[in-house]
Amino acid sequence: MKKIILLFCLLGALRGQAQDKGTVLIKGGTVLTVTKGTLENTDVLIKDGKITQIAKGIAAPAGTRVIDASGLFVMPGIIDAHSHIALDAINEGTNAITPEVHVADAINPFEVDIYRALAGGCTISHAMHGSANSIGGQCQTIKHRYGVLDGEQLKMEGAARTIKFALGENPTGHGRRDGVQPQTRMGVEFVIRQAFAEGKEYLEAWDKYNKAKLTKGFRGAPPAYSLRLETIADILKGNIIIHCHSYRADEINMLMNVCRDFGIKRVVFQHTNEGFKVAPELAKFGAMASVFADWWAYKLEVYYSTAYNAAILARNGVVTSINSDSPDLIRHLYHEAGKTQKYGNLSDDEALAMITINAAKQLGIESRVGSLEVGKDGDVAIFNGHPLSIYGIPQITLVDGLVRFDREKDPADMRLLVDPKETIDIPTIHKATTHNHENCMQNMEWLLNVKMFGLNR
Amino acid sequence: MKKILYVLMALLTTTVAAQSPKAKSGLFALTNATLETVTNGTIANGTLIINKGKIEALGSNVAVPAGAQVIDCKGLRIYPGMIDGGTGIGLLEIGQIPQATDQRETGDVIPQMKALTAINPNSVVIPVTRVSGVTTVITRPEGGLLPGQAALVHMHGYTPDQMFAGFEGVVLNFPNTGKRGFFDRRTEDEIKRDSDKALKQLNEVWDKAIQYHRLDSATRGKGVSYYPELQALLPVVRGEKTLMVEANAAKDIQAALKWLAERKIKKVILTGVAEGWRVAGDIAKANVPVVTGPVIAIPTRDYDRYDQAYANAGVLRKAGVKVALRTLQTENVRNLPYHAGYAAAYGMGKEEALKAITIVPAEIFGVANILGSLEVGKNATLFVCDGDPFETKTQVKHVFIEGWQIPMTSRQTELYDEFLQREPGVSKN
Amino acid sequence: MRNSACWTCLLLALSLSLSAQDDLPPVTRTYAITHVNIVQAPGRKIDMGTVVLKDGVITAVGKGVAIPPEAIVIKADSMYVYAGFIDGLSRTGVIRPKEETNRERPKDPGNPTPERAGITPQVDVRYALNPADKSIEDLRQAGFAISQVVPYGGMLPGSGALILLSGKSADQLVIQTKSALYAELTGASGVYPNTVIGVMAKWRDLYRNAVQSKNYESLYASNRSGLERPVTDRNLEAFYPVIDQKIPVLFKAEKLLEVQRVLTLKNDLKFPLTLAEVKEGWHAIPKIKASGASVFLSLDLPEEMKKDEKKDGKKKDDKPRTAAETEKEQLEKRRAEAISHYTAQAAAFQKAGVRFGFSMLNAKPKDVHANLRRMIAAGLSEDAALAALTTSPAQLLGISDRAGTVDPGKMANLVISDKPFFSEKAKIRYVFVDGAMTKLEIKETKKSDPNAKVEIEGTWNTTTQSPQGTTTGKLVFKKDGSGYTGTASSSMSPDPFPLKDIVLEGNALSFKYTMSFGSRSIDVEISVTVEGDSFKGNTSVGSFGSFPVEGTKNPK
Repeated sequence: MKKIILLFCLLGALRGQAQDKGTVLIKGGTVLTVTKGTLENTDVLIKDGKITQIAKGIAAPAGTRVIDASGLFVMPGIIDAHSHIALDAINEGTNAITPEVHVADAINPFEVDIYRALAGGCTISHAMHGSANSIGGQCQTIKHRYGVLDGEQLKMEGAARTIKFALGENPTGHGRRDGVQPQTRMGVEFVIRQAFAEGKEYLEAWDKYNKAKLTKGFRGAPPAYSLRLETIADILKGNIIIHCHSYRADEINMLMNVCRDFGIKRVVFQHTNEGFKVAPELAKFGAMASVFADWWAYKLEVYYSTAYNAAILARNGVVTSINSDSPDLIRHLYHEAGKTQKYGNLSDDEALAMITINAAKQLGIESRVGSLEVGKDGDVAIFNGHPLSIYGIPQITLVDGLVRFDREKDPADMRLLVDPKETIDIPTIHKATTHNHENCMQNMEWLLNVKMFGLNR
Repeated sequence: MKKILYVLMALLTTTVAAQSPKAKSGLFALTNATLETVTNGTIANGTLIINKGKIEALGSNVAVPAGAQVIDCKGLRIYPGMIDGGTGIGLLEIGQIPQATDQRETGDVIPQMKALTAINPNSVVIPVTRVSGVTTVITRPEGGLLPGQAALVHMHGYTPDQMFAGFEGVVLNFPNTGKRGFFDRRTEDEIKRDSDKALKQLNEVWDKAIQYHRLDSATRGKGVSYYPELQALLPVVRGEKTLMVEANAAKDIQAALKWLAERKIKKVILTGVAEGWRVAGDIAKANVPVVTGPVIAIPTRDYDRYDQAYANAGVLRKAGVKVALRTLQTENVRNLPYHAGYAAAYGMGKEEALKAITIVPAEIFGVANILGSLEVGKNATLFVCDGDPFETKTQVKHVFIEGWQIPMTSRQTELYDEFLQREPGVSKN
Repeated sequence: MRNSACWTCLLLALSLSLSAQDDLPPVTRTYAITHVNIVQAPGRKIDMGTVVLKDGVITAVGKGVAIPPEAIVIKADSMYVYAGFIDGLSRTGVIRPKEETNRERPKDPGNPTPERAGITPQVDVRYALNPADKSIEDLRQAGFAISQVVPYGGMLPGSGALILLSGKSADQLVIQTKSALYAELTGASGVYPNTVIGVMAKWRDLYRNAVQSKNYESLYASNRSGLERPVTDRNLEAFYPVIDQKIPVLFKAEKLLEVQRVLTLKNDLKFPLTLAEVKEGWHAIPKIKASGASVFLSLDLPEEMKKDEKKDGKKKDDKPRTAAETEKEQLEKRRAEAISHYTAQAAAFQKAGVRFGFSMLNAKPKDVHANLRRMIAAGLSEDAALAALTTSPAQLLGISDRAGTVDPGKMANLVISDKPFFSEKAKIRYVFVDGAMTKLEIKETKKSDPNAKVEIEGTWNTTTQSPQGTTTGKLVFKKDGSGYTGTASSSMSPDPFPLKDIVLEGNALSFKYTMSFGSRSIDVEISVTVEGDSFKGNTSVGSFGSFPVEGTKNPK
């Protein structure tokens, strides 16, 4: 009974919190700053959503909520550089090139996956377009402000613009099924080069037109408008970070070459299972890598993988993060990061950086989040044991200084919106002896279905 | 300074890689170790003798026999090999490539299909699995109602016969009233229709199996014709072979228990049991052992508590159910200790979680006489590590399977050795 | 697949066969409705007055009004007259285009033709109207006189029109063409744009292109000399009246997320917007208000929970409940709460001071009265409900000069009920559309007898009369405790479908089932009166309409 009352309290409290910022003092914890070492018995003060002080013995300003963290571990909110939660649509995979689409248009703030990520200390995720096409859609960095009722409020204001690219089996498989380019890794390179070249022409044509317009008495037709090429032009101008789904070393190398030719500098490789083979090249280019802790063998291009990938990349100077690509793994990224200690003996700080500051760098938000430092956002995860220990369980998660998850006050049913037609007794049994699909490929079921009927996703 | 360390490290690992990748057998003395026997507590500073594939002796006062190869385990712990109660190892090599998978034969009722036949002893997955201390796994077929027989195999051996660890069970996918994943767009009615149809089919098959058994018994096997499906079910009907009943939705678990009780099937394991926590009392009352997992998974319903899958095994255990764990994985069966760790952290406790991947599955699969604990006379199937095996920091140092000392390499470690400091690298400028 | 094709044929047959009716013209178009309570508009009422209609126009309203000698007099003793209702969005009378089944994906799915992509904004619904379509009559009988109708299609099906729900030809129906540019966030199956993100990107691309090409056309028109000829583009030209703010984009937005997404588009592109068929909009009220968009709320509501569902878990005895029972109770409670939010949506809009009308895209005409009453029970005032049926939509659609109230000079669109319209037992007796009268017979259907005892267990052979012909089927009922289970099969679908919600009260039998063909499903609702070993009644088949059904029981 008590639980039921709590349900409505917490849900109610969550719903009330729109884009508010909180003030809170986290007292006496072991503070894992990630960037500035570990501070024992230290307090963290968050005011109006920002960290204002990290020190011993901070007196709580009047009226400030105090969280007693003695015996607990306090770390920056975990950041997932590759996720597809909170999205109603993932792949506009109908065309090889769809940079004009933006997953921000499909944010679904009601997905309970967001809450479950919070329950794993994860406060930010990079909601990505899928990998069905060579140049996919633009992605959106979201803050897990579970409880808000408008997708707009999940968007992390001021986050860098990012876009999904994809190489290898997924885009070539798409091409083969549709009988269009690309069907090979050669084709993938061409399709991307072609898009960049057309984007460059577009940019030049508009520059010319806009310049001509300034001359007195100018009369003339503007170049055709294209949101697609407009977005490519923004990539060429360096306004958008490329996040590229990739597995094999050769294709990773290819994209670096293409980007070099077009003067594009900001590239993050996603999955990057064979990044370890070209780690020196990645380091030299300045490209970053976001990888799985141990996924492999579900398809040919990840058969020659090693779980030591993250360690090899890190040791070669590549900024590396561990991501989830999964509503399951996003709940225990701290555990995934811990695997870098088994596979490569990374230090605690190196392992934690993989799910905090390094991910922040890849999303272009490192000045805001990713470590516990004065001036950064009050995104904090509090554990009852060391987060890299299997026995460390997240207790409280704060976003912008507001408690969005509290294990002690956590009821079962955390849905914000209930379907009035829901069937109550139907579970979903996730059952497979292999990691049998990438979340990247959602919305692409129709590829399996030549005869379509009424599928409109 | 750091760089020198890496070079040293690389050198060290290279030496290991240069070892013969063959396993070795013989007489081994593992000394100065903490022995986690599982069944008889912890023995500090103990010695364990391996001879002819068996644990010949263990304890704190065991002398090292002459000629034994001594492995100093100072600061290290020895555990019985971990057993995974449900995987696809050997049947699945590369999930998305049909030619590299042998897990699903066509047909709904094909209990005569034997996983053991198709297990590939040379799977790249096997070394990856065993160097993490997972020595023995159930490999199961998948598919329709009765997709075939699962087998317990060791992660060592050059033929399925050499890998076989002494247990086979007939898999029954009990008619399922749940959805199969996000792609399952069947309506409530369609799901019910499918499961009703499957149940009807199951009942028909079972009735036939019983008729076949009667006829076979009455005629001493002479009055029946070749009927491979029913012949495969015969030992189950007679209580000689185990039926592994996969049921996950709470309703299905209850329906399965009822179905099993009505037919008085003697040897039964309930597998999956994702929603076991909802009906733990019923399972305990039925006194049916359970293999549950994956532990690290998302809850089955949107309105379930976020940690319900982690907590499931603990709830079942506390209700008095005999619980073993499985990863339901193939390439990442190496994560079995972490699944156990999550179960431990979310209510099961370390001791019970350790049992759930050692002695309990050994008992459930009827091989506790040779596996599942460190005891004299049991198979020397064990691993040596430098800490709590559930922790990701812990490194597994040695693995023995039936007395064979396993080389501690896999393709994944080999790639590490080759690429940590790649030659040629790239000039920095 | 074949079965789906059958249903498509059935539908076509239906719409064609009904056009064969022919009626004699009325003797006069002058009517006087006397002794009637006149609700001229919300809050404006005349007790026991007279309304005179002539040639489709209201000519007099009030007490002591002279009755023209040529008038047909309707003694509406103590009845209530209201302005004919106005529906903000539906496909009433619109012919559904032939569905291409098994449509193969085109060669290059990334670059389909605009038609294949669902981009046909140039389509005018006027050319797709069938005045004899039964849906017109159905909606009229629910009290509606005017509907804003739109074509079938994808993300941009075409422009809508305001039509009268009575008339002999398409031209007679239409009172305004191109009333709005209709849009949905619906992707094209298997081709670009397939998903909501594709649709929204394409929207932005199209709109900005339209703005650019419109600007260039004006530049060209101002002085053509030396300029490249602008190429005409029927898709883009359809946006011009929107860009000129002359007509709004009428966007279907049922779910909260759709409302929010449409508002995002509006904010990006600044087009005039009407949101329609809003079902889940209560959380977005401030945002809608701030956007200045017009709103039509859906008259469709989720079904109320059945009594036994509500009761479940709430045992009378004090036995401790099992965890499963407690859980179920909680879930039912949340579901009931969710349903109540839908029911209270209109009240929430009223409270927030947002003007809104109603739309009938998904609602069944026969549910309108009950749904309005549910909304009123959830806090909507009767005046606000009436405003949303009459004056508000008239204003939102820009036809207040002609419609929405019972005032002299307005179109003769009236609805007359035997009791105050929003009272429980009120029945509509007359509907006038454009001065043409429809008299509703109170159906004296063979009364079911609540005390009769009939036995339905067994196998029944059924025949259903549809315009396509006669369909035979088989029903099997089995006793299950105090209730029944059963299955239905037919010549169209030999595989039996399970029956649900089987209710037998006296000799009144009702049940439902869902026919599914691949990913498509059709809900069937049947209610019949059983007499011995036969029954008669009606079957309603998805959106195809309702047909008479008869059955006889097989002797055992």
